[in-house]
Parts: sequence; structure tokens; C-alpha cells
Amino acid sequence: MPVCHVFRFCRIAAAAVLALGAAMPTASAGGKFVFANSSAYDTLDPHAVFDVGRVASRINLYDGLMRWFDNPPHLEPWLAEKVDISDDGRTYTFTLRDAKFHDGSPVEASDVVYSIDRILAMKKGAYSLFEGTVAPGSTQALDAKTVVFSLSKPSAIFLATVPEIHVVNAELVKANEADGDLGTVWLSKNDAGSGSFQLKRYDPAIGWQATRFKDHFFGWDMVDNPLDEIEFRTVVEINSRVLGLMNGDFHGTDGYLPQDQVKRLRASDRVVVQEEESMRIFYSIIHNGRAPMNDINFRKALSYAFDYDGFIDNILSGSVARNPAPLPNNMWGSPKDASGYMLNLEKAKEHLAMVEGDIREITLGALAGYGQTEQAAALLQNGLNKIGVKTKIVAETWPVASGKMRDEQQMYDLLFLWKSTYYADPNNWLGEMYACEQIGARNNSWYCNEEVDKLLSEARVSTDQERRRANYEKANRLLMEDAAGIFVYNTKWFGPFNKNARGIRFSPIGNGQEMRWVSME
Amino acid sequence: METARFLLRRLVADRTAALGALIIVLLVVAAIAAPVLSTHPQDISEFNPPGRLQPPSAEHFFGTDRMGSDIYSRILFGARITIAIAVIAIGASVLIGIPVGLVAGYYRNWVSDALMRISDIFLAVPQIVLAIAIAQTLGPSIENVILALSATYWPFWARLVYAETSSALNETYVEASIALGASPWRVMLRHVLPNISSSLIVRTTIGMGGTILTAATLGFLGLGPPAPSPEWGRTIAESREFLPEAWWYATAPGLAIFLVVMGFNLFGDGLRDILDPRTRRSTDG
Amino acid sequence: MRELALTFNRLLWLVPTLLGLLLITFTISHVIPADPVAFIAGDNASAEQIAALKAKFGVDKPIPVQLWNYVIGVLQGDFGVSLYTQRPIADDLASRLPATLELASVSILLSAVIGIPLGVLAAVDRNSWLDHALRVFTVSGLAIAAFWLAILFQLLFAMEWSVTPLQGRIDGWGPDPVTGFFLIDSAWAGDWAAFRSAVHHMVLPAITLAFPAMATVMRFTRAGVLDAINSNYVDYQNAMGVPRRVIIWRYVLRNALIGTVTQLGLIFGNLIANAVVVEAVFDWPGLGLYAVNSILQSDYNAIMGFTLIMGAVFIIANLLVDIVHGLIDPRG
Repeated sequence: MPVCHVFRFCRIAAAAVLALGAAMPTASAGGKFVFANSSAYDTLDPHAVFDVGRVASRINLYDGLMRWFDNPPHLEPWLAEKVDISDDGRTYTFTLRDAKFHDGSPVEASDVVYSIDRILAMKKGAYSLFEGTVAPGSTQALDAKTVVFSLSKPSAIFLATVPEIHVVNAELVKANEADGDLGTVWLSKNDAGSGSFQLKRYDPAIGWQATRFKDHFFGWDMVDNPLDEIEFRTVVEINSRVLGLMNGDFHGTDGYLPQDQVKRLRASDRVVVQEEESMRIFYSIIHNGRAPMNDINFRKALSYAFDYDGFIDNILSGSVARNPAPLPNNMWGSPKDASGYMLNLEKAKEHLAMVEGDIREITLGALAGYGQTEQAAALLQNGLNKIGVKTKIVAETWPVASGKMRDEQQMYDLLFLWKSTYYADPNNWLGEMYACEQIGARNNSWYCNEEVDKLLSEARVSTDQERRRANYEKANRLLMEDAAGIFVYNTKWFGPFNKNARGIRFSPIGNGQEMRWVSME
Repeated sequence: METARFLLRRLVADRTAALGALIIVLLVVAAIAAPVLSTHPQDISEFNPPGRLQPPSAEHFFGTDRMGSDIYSRILFGARITIAIAVIAIGASVLIGIPVGLVAGYYRNWVSDALMRISDIFLAVPQIVLAIAIAQTLGPSIENVILALSATYWPFWARLVYAETSSALNETYVEASIALGASPWRVMLRHVLPNISSSLIVRTTIGMGGTILTAATLGFLGLGPPAPSPEWGRTIAESREFLPEAWWYATAPGLAIFLVVMGFNLFGDGLRDILDPRTRRSTDG
Repeated sequence: MRELALTFNRLLWLVPTLLGLLLITFTISHVIPADPVAFIAGDNASAEQIAALKAKFGVDKPIPVQLWNYVIGVLQGDFGVSLYTQRPIADDLASRLPATLELASVSILLSAVIGIPLGVLAAVDRNSWLDHALRVFTVSGLAIAAFWLAILFQLLFAMEWSVTPLQGRIDGWGPDPVTGFFLIDSAWAGDWAAFRSAVHHMVLPAITLAFPAMATVMRFTRAGVLDAINSNYVDYQNAMGVPRRVIIWRYVLRNALIGTVTQLGLIFGNLIANAVVVEAVFDWPGLGLYAVNSILQSDYNAIMGFTLIMGAVFIIANLLVDIVHGLIDPRG
């Protein structure tokens, strides 16, 4: 992401026009869009959750100062008109645009201050992005339109995390606080935003509906026939989502369906499947801190024993792209010439022979309910079996696994899982997965390599884009050389939409669910 | 010897019970001889991704699964898991339930009251609900499924033995032997237990069917042994993602569960008619 | 008088039984290897974030204190907060109970309406082809795995032939809740489109659930009718020249039903057990689906709440069965 010092607003507008073709004068009723979502909207509080599966309630009902657009994602000012960054990289001054909340009151700097302090006080959702960087009470409203963030330490990724500061209507939330709960109970089922859509109905067991907010700051001139109503319904079963799209009950669903289902959708004349390379890598964590995985030869043996082609080409029908490194191929900082490991049992045996000491039974972790992780573990077990390494597969629920991931003793020897985009900066992957200071928190590999760590911490604070890129490329190579994990693929997004839907804009952060650009023909 | 031959004759005469017995024998044979009977025994641990989700054919009688493994072979090996779970869980429940029931039925004091109250609490909730709670807590594995099932099934036997013991104590010959100074253990083992053995056998056989169903349900919910285990319930759960195209994936393991449970139910019904005439399935026999 | 005393006695036992149940679920859930709090905090959570949440949910306190707090809470109708949804579990359970009760009621009704007449026919025409066919049906009804039957129904009726919806409870948001039973609420509001949709969605899950229940009803009705037919009373009526049909439907059935009513507890228990998986397959937003989701989230507060509610419903249902039995059984 190019860090220039002053953003101007024009770029989004241009992008919007580009996305929609020639803008026509706004017309009448734009219709309703029903999206079938795989995960349940348990809460609508934009500061309580921070996952990709429930991003729609955050980006449609709320606005942030900045926002991610398109693919590869670029960051643009959104509620902010411009941002000034001090030379030492620690003071960020945002100037707000004229915007209104859904109740008609103006969006002011004090609302931004309340929102960031609420995130810091709740310690949930996106909190960890700001922990240690933004101190509670350090953000100031200079006047109604100017808000200043004074960072505790320089951070190259701060701007990339600003979109997660969803601005809530401070007065409204405060009015609905109970016992100093920061309005969490109320906000979990109500809307205090300024976003493009305004909440109409919500039922945690069903989903939510919202109507177009006509006074949204960005205006609606750019969109021909914008939607009047959107509905996000929870539909857990894949088959129901697919059938619903094929018979027209739903107009969109998530883009990470199994390939067999994508095939069915493509055959339907009601559905168009859009394809994009996302930024969601699939890999296996290796517990680098425990024998025998602390031996590089054993890790290499692991990396050579996985059938990447069988997994990608057969089990996933070629629906994903091989990603040999921890950083997604399409993220800057990813070395273009990296080829990575292939299935090679001979080499695996060679490396295994160099491992000192006896090799015990290895525990392969998988996430219960996520078939792909089980299949990957089974495939690795198959390969390791052939080179004489005994393994045991353990599939546990995500809460159990994520608890164990933070404990050096309880962590599995290996664990297959995904790493999604929370913000589009290499630090989202490399800095969190392999920095020494993150050990036990987000570095679940107990991997700490001085050289890599130096590159990562430099890149985390540097404002020199070229230097950051070089550091990440080098760190990527070192991590591959070290076989720090088994890096498998980067997800492709196959977004199925009703063929009458126009203007879907995909970004790895919003997953194509920002509905303000969409219209129905 | 005489009685055994008599029983056998009765069983053969009851066609449905004989059918049940046959199914059970087939299940045991399938489990023991799985490596011989299966067409692709290596498919339990080795996978063949290019050949995944093939429909049934001469090569793969029940088609192949998501890893390209032969479903027919995996079902045979799955029978081993099913038998192991059912036999061990029922065995453990019986081993806990019988002593508890005997003691509670023999001594009528606060201990027996307490024991029966505890089993009442367990019986107050449908078994599957408690089994889910236990299996979920312990984590998914065969051992934990067995534990969950034993922990929820023993009260059935405790209750049964308790009731039978209480009534047996009223029989004159038992009263007599107690009066003659027989030790409690002698009374329980010599007089009470043989007296209630037939109803225990009947209950155990019918219980096997129920246990297999519950175990499959736990497997279906993801609380059984993890992938790539060929456990039947988990196979059905795996298949859902590939429906309706891969219909064979769900069909075969479901049929296996159905047949085996039916086998135990039919056999248990037959046994009841022969051994436990008080609770015949209908008055006309 | 004796019945009243018995009923009262059972009511008294309700409290210690429920408390015992609470103790069991609490014990189970506190052996838990999971760290659900870490999960709520999200995969980017810091140690500090997790500690704060632990304090908030009280899971940092000693176990006896947690148990005490839980018991006191439950007594006040507070089942704690779901670790996953962060909402009060009592609210979640209350909002999902009607869906399960509606499904269970329709299934029981279905199994009675179909099971009783078939049971009578089988008894009257003993050893006919119908009797044999129905016997095969009852045996298989109890041997079939409910989740598998549900999937087969989906495969055929929803996916292959598209005559029923695949899953869900209704199209759209459903009628405004009065009773929480969509069939009643939509009919009450005169919203026939919603009513049709509710019926349409109800068909597959109700039949799946009713299948084993129907088998039990049929089996006991048949046995009861046979018992009654062979009684002296019927012989006497026969001798008095009362038409056989009248005897069967008026005298015999009544006695046969008593036997079936005693089995209602068993039927209901099976129904609830099967509801867990059937709701999961049909995505029916009731208690069973809630439990299955809670399993996937290792939400042990929610699982405890579910187990308690199921236990309570089951115990109360059995109590009602006893009372009804006492009322209709003249032998008392």
C-alpha cells in the first residue's frame, strides 16, 4: 500500500464509475437483494466481532474513516476526507466529511474518539490490532471535524487497520448503556451507524434486513438503480444456499463453496459465478519449539511428504492456487520466483535420515467440521506413513483448537487451518504468524528466528515502502528455507450471484458483500 | 445342554429371530474378516485423490469417497469400530449396573436409595443428550464415545437388576436361605443373579441396537473418531457436502447401520419371547 | 386420593432430580479441555484480552464458586451467558423452544393419527399380509438412523424431485409470534401464504421424526387391542350380540390406548433424542439445532442449558403421562 501523506477523495469515485460503466441518472425502485450467509449473525455490534464471515453487517451498516476496495485491495479515505501523517509516523490527523448517522445527527470527531476508546475498552473484535499502538484516551477531537490519533509507537500498518474502527453514534450508544456495559447488549441487536444501509429487522436465528440510507454521505448518484433493501440470511447448509441461488430465492452467497457445488451453479442459467484470487492461505502450523519438529530436517521431511498436487488438483478440483510461501502470492512482498516444496518421498526420506534421535508418533491437528483440514491431515498421514513416520489425527472444534494454539504444551505438533485477510498488509501474515513477540498469541508455531524477526520488526515500523517490500520478500524466502510451516494454497473466490445483479465489487476484506455498489436489473 | 438345544430349536423356528441372528453373525464375520473380504483393504490408510467420488461399479461396489477410497472396504472396517464400541460400552454398563442394582436391591437403606436416585437422574434425560454433553466435553475419539455411552447406559441395568432383586428377595426360597444364614453375596450370586439372567440377556441384546444407533449419531455429530476413520456415522456426515451427486456416499453406510440395528432388534425380540415370557411382544406369541 | 399422593410425591422429586441433573452437567462441562473464552476473543486476541473475558464470565473463579453462582442463577431463571453469542442462554432457549415443540407436537399427532388405526387393523387382521407388512415397518422404524432417514428424504424429495424445501422452517421471516407455533400464528393472522409455507417446510422433518414414534404407537396399539380382544369382557359383549365393529372401536380401543399412553414417555424421549439430529439436518431453528451449533462452538454454558431444559421437559412430560394414565385407567 503506497503511504502518501494526503489522500484525496476522487479515487473511489473514479473506481465506482469504472465498476459500473457509464453512470446513468438515478432511477426509481432498485429492488431487494437477498444474500445467503454461511455463518450466523450472532451480534451486530461492529466492535465485538472481527471475522470475514460476518463482515456484511459491519461494512453495510457502518462506515470507517478509511475503507478497502477491490482486488488487489487498495485503501481509500471513506468517512475521512483526508489524512495527514506526521513525519515521525506517530500522529495521524483525519479530517471528516459531512456525514449523518441514521438518526440524522451529524458524524463528528467525538464519535470517532468514542468508537476507538470503546474498542480499546471492550477488548474484543479488532482490539488486538490497536493494542499497544493506540493507548486508551490518547485519541483527541480537535474540533467537530478533526480527530487526531497519537500512536504509542510508530506503526507502518496503522492506516491499514483504520477501516476496522467502525464509527458508532456515541450519543445514541451512551443513551442505551446499562450498568456501564458500553452499550454492548443494545448494540448487539440495534444499529447506531452511518452506513449505506439502515437496519430494519434482526433475528439472530434468521439474519437481518436493512433499507437504503438515502442521506448516506457518499450519495447515490454514482449507482444506477441502487438497491432499496438488502437481506442477509443465515443458511448453514451448502446445498440450501446452492439450491436457493438456482431457483432465485437468493441472489448471492459466499464464494468459498466446494468445487462440485460451483460446477452445479455454473450450469444454472440464473447464476453467474465471478472468480477472483483472494488472500486466504491454507497451511499447516508446525510446532517449531518441540522435538522432533525443532529439527529443520524433520520439517523438510514433512514439507516433502505432502501431496500438494493431489490435494489441489483432485480433492479441490483445481479451484485454488498453489501458494508455496506464508504470504499470499498476490500480496506485495511475495517473491515471484518462489517455487516451494513438492511431494517427493525420496527427499523426505533423505531428510528424515538426517534427523537425530528417535521419532515419536506425531499428532496432526484438524478442525472438526472443516472437511478440508481433515482431508489435508489424512493426506499428510498417508505420505508420512510411507516414509515410516507414525501419526495420529486429532480433529477438534475451533474453540478447542484455538485455545490449544496459545499453549506451548497443549499445541498439536501440526495443525491445518486458514489465515484470512484482516487488513491487506504483509504483516497480517508474516508479522503475526512468525514474529518472536507474537509467540503464544498469534505466532502459534513457536518459531523465532533472529534474522527473520529483525526483518519483520523493521518492516512493521518503517515508512519506506521499498524497504518493507524487500524485507518481506527476504523473510518469506527464509521461512520457506526453514520449512517453518507446510504452505499449501491461496484461496480463489468463486462468488455466485444472480445474473441480474450488477456492480459486485470484490475485495478480500469485504468479500464482495458491500452492497452499496450493487443494483438489480 | 438340553436347554441350549431347546433354545436353539426355538430360535430357528422363529424366522425373524433367526434372521436377526444371521445378520449379527454376518456383522461379526465382516468385522473379523474385513481384510480378506474387502476389495481395497489398503484404502483405510492410503488414499487415491484422482479416483474420488466414483459411482458404484464392479471395481467399487459402493463407489468411492472424498479421498478416492473404496466405500465398500471402509464399511467392512467400520464394522469393527461399531462392534468395539457397542460391546465395550454395553459391557461396561452391565459391569457397573449389575453390582449397583444388586446392592441397592438387597440392602434397603439410604445407600440403596441414594444409588437409585442417582440412576433416576441419569434416566430422567434422554441418553443421547447426556452422551452428547459428555462426548463433547471429552473430545472426539472412540474411547470417549465408549465412555459417554457407558456413563449414560449403566442406570438401565442398575434399575432392572434393582427391581428384579427386590422381587426375588420376596421369593420363599430366597427368604429361606437368608433365614438359614447364607451370606448376602452368596444369596445375590447363587439365587438372585441366576434368577434374573434371562431378562438381563434380553435387555442386553436389545440394548446393543440402541447403542449402535446412539454411537452412529455421535459419529454423525462429529463427536466420534476423527477422519480418516471409517466409522459409519461420520461417513454419512462427510457425504452431505457432496449430495445430491454422490448419493452412494450416504446410502451405503446408512444401510449398514439400519441392517445391524435391525438384526439386534429382531434377535432381541425373539429372545424375549423365548426367555422372558412375561413381556411377550403380543399375547398371541 | 392415592393418585394425588403419588403425583404429589413425584412433583416433590422433581426438584432434587433437576438439581442432580444440574450437578451432573456442571461436572461434565468443567472437565472441558477447551478454552472457549479464547475462542470468543477471536483468533487475533491477546493474553490481556482473554484474561479480561475470563473475569467477565467468571471462569477465573474456583470451581465451587462457579457452581454456586450457576445454581443460584438457574434458580432465578438465569442460565448464564452463551460463550459464543454472548446473549443470555435463557433467551436463546426460550426463543427456540416453540420451534421444537411445534415440530414434536406435529410428529406425535402424525404418529398417533396414523399409528393407532394401523395398529388396530394389524391386530384385527392378525397374520394377514397387512399385519406382516406393518410388522416389518415397525421393526425398521426403530432401526433406522433418524439423521440418515432425514438425508434420504432430502435427497429424494428436495434435491431430486424438488417437491419440498430442503430445509428451514418457513420462507421469509414468519408470522409475528403469538404462540411461537408458526402453523397457529399464521392461521390466526389469516396469512395463508405463510401457513402454506410453514406446512411445506414441516412435512419432511415431521415425517422423519414421526417414523420411529409411529412404529412404537403401532406396536403397542396392536398388542393392547389383542389383549383386549382376548379378554372375557369382549367375549361377553360378543355373546350379547354387540356388533364386532362397535366392540373393537368402542371398548377394545379404549383399553388398548391405555397401554399406548404409558409408552408416551418413551416415545417422547426418542423424539427429543432424534430431534437433535433431525433439526440439524433440516436446519430447523429449534433447541436441537442450537445444541448442535453449541457443540461446534464448544459453548459449554449453552450445552448445560440445553441439557437442563431437555431434562426438565422430559421429566414434566413423563409426569403428565402418569397423571393422564391415572385419569383414563379405570383400574387405577
